[in-house]
Amino acid sequence: MQKRLSVIFAALAASLLLGACGKQESAPAQSAAPAAPAAVTKIVVGLDDNFPPMGFRDEKNNLVGFDIDLAREAAKRLGAEVEFKPIDWNAKEAELGGKRVDALWNGLTITEKRKEQIAFTTPYLENRQIIIVVATSPIKTKADLAGKVVGLQEGSSAVEAVEKDAVAKSIKTLKKFGDNIAALMDLTTGRLDALVVDEVVGRYYIAKKPNEYAVLDENFGTEEYGVGVRKDDTELLGKLQKAMDEMKKDGSAARISTQWFGKDIVK
Amino acid sequence: MDYVIQILGPLLEGTAVTLQVFLLTLVLAVPLGLGLALVRVSHFRLASRVVSAYIWLMRGTPLMLQMLFIYFALPFVPVIGIRLPDFPAAIVAFVLNYAAYFAEIFRSGIQSVGRGQYEASRVLGLTYGQTMRRIILPQVVKRILPPMSNETITLIKDTSLIYVLAMNDLLRAARGMVQRDFTTMPFVVAAAFYLIMTLVLTWGFLYLEKRYAVYED
Repeated sequence: MQKRLSVIFAALAASLLLGACGKQESAPAQSAAPAAPAAVTKIVVGLDDNFPPMGFRDEKNNLVGFDIDLAREAAKRLGAEVEFKPIDWNAKEAELGGKRVDALWNGLTITEKRKEQIAFTTPYLENRQIIIVVATSPIKTKADLAGKVVGLQEGSSAVEAVEKDAVAKSIKTLKKFGDNIAALMDLTTGRLDALVVDEVVGRYYIAKKPNEYAVLDENFGTEEYGVGVRKDDTELLGKLQKAMDEMKKDGSAARISTQWFGKDIVK
Repeated sequence: MDYVIQILGPLLEGTAVTLQVFLLTLVLAVPLGLGLALVRVSHFRLASRVVSAYIWLMRGTPLMLQMLFIYFALPFVPVIGIRLPDFPAAIVAFVLNYAAYFAEIFRSGIQSVGRGQYEASRVLGLTYGQTMRRIILPQVVKRILPPMSNETITLIKDTSLIYVLAMNDLLRAARGMVQRDFTTMPFVVAAAFYLIMTLVLTWGFLYLEKRYAVYED
């Protein structure tokens, strides 16, 4: 499925490029005109609504999560309305670039590659790429991954984190899944030897089945979450940054963190 | 069991989205398909060729790709450049795609009616339009019921493709719960939902087939 998707996106990107080439002259003028004058009154936040505990649906089908609460608080401070729009995480750049959403706020890791297309606020959360194995697994260290099948979520920052690591070359196969839960299930069936995942997400799942999995002491590095906006949307970036700084300072960010993670892990 | 009851609500909401896409597509694509088929079998060479090309294009590319194109790429196409919200974008893609398949089903039905009937109609003084409406199409309806039933059942399952636009249909709602609760139970319940829907369709078409069987030759 994912492979098919990426093929489709490659084709789509090509057609987008073709379209963009034809429109190069008129496009910037068009986008600059409405953005300049009015203050920010509504922010459309794009998120993967299947990404607990950052953003997901509760029993009543309402969107909840750490990032949801954070975004609501920030919007309140801006005096702006906030709308949450579920998006397919693989298409996040297209959603943002196509102005269907104004911000990506959903455990979005700040990476060099993403910085080419997205403007980030300063980090608000630190996150490690942890390695999860089944509790009975002989794998104890990163070096043990040599010759093994390792899974991760397609389009997640884990891909970059693993690929730039020296261990990457010794891994037999790097299997990319549509979502982390599919990878975790594959881990249980034994087709997968290990899974690399965002710590906040991984710990959420492990807590659901306490004795089945183990987390290795080593990891694939520390990363930071930030809020992403369009590069030319400096007004929104500035306002969001200011609101987040205030929230960190007056303790409201810490309060939301305690609510979701049991402790204050906001950076 | 408590868990199943708890997830039923959101799954029903997902089912509502699935059914909306399904019904709207059916209501719009069947007439469009019939129109395309009539042009396709008509004697207007150029129009017939255009329809053939359209059907080739729509059947020749994945529905998912068409949906992504309409949603993401269409806003950037010069001149046309419309930005559709997710639901209309999905409907447009489904209707355009399914109309092509329906058109071919209609064509097979129309062409299965013997030439002799056209000649007989002409002898009786009927125009081409009258022949189509009164003689050919009533027989077509009966003959195409089995393939229509096939295509309709496929449609209800194809609706799950709208997940690429992050719309919460039945399958995506179930997937969300699997991710949240780390149990595969929602998939089992979703499967039951799909089975019930296809069962209703199967019975509906069987009933229609029986009703139209009175015209059996």
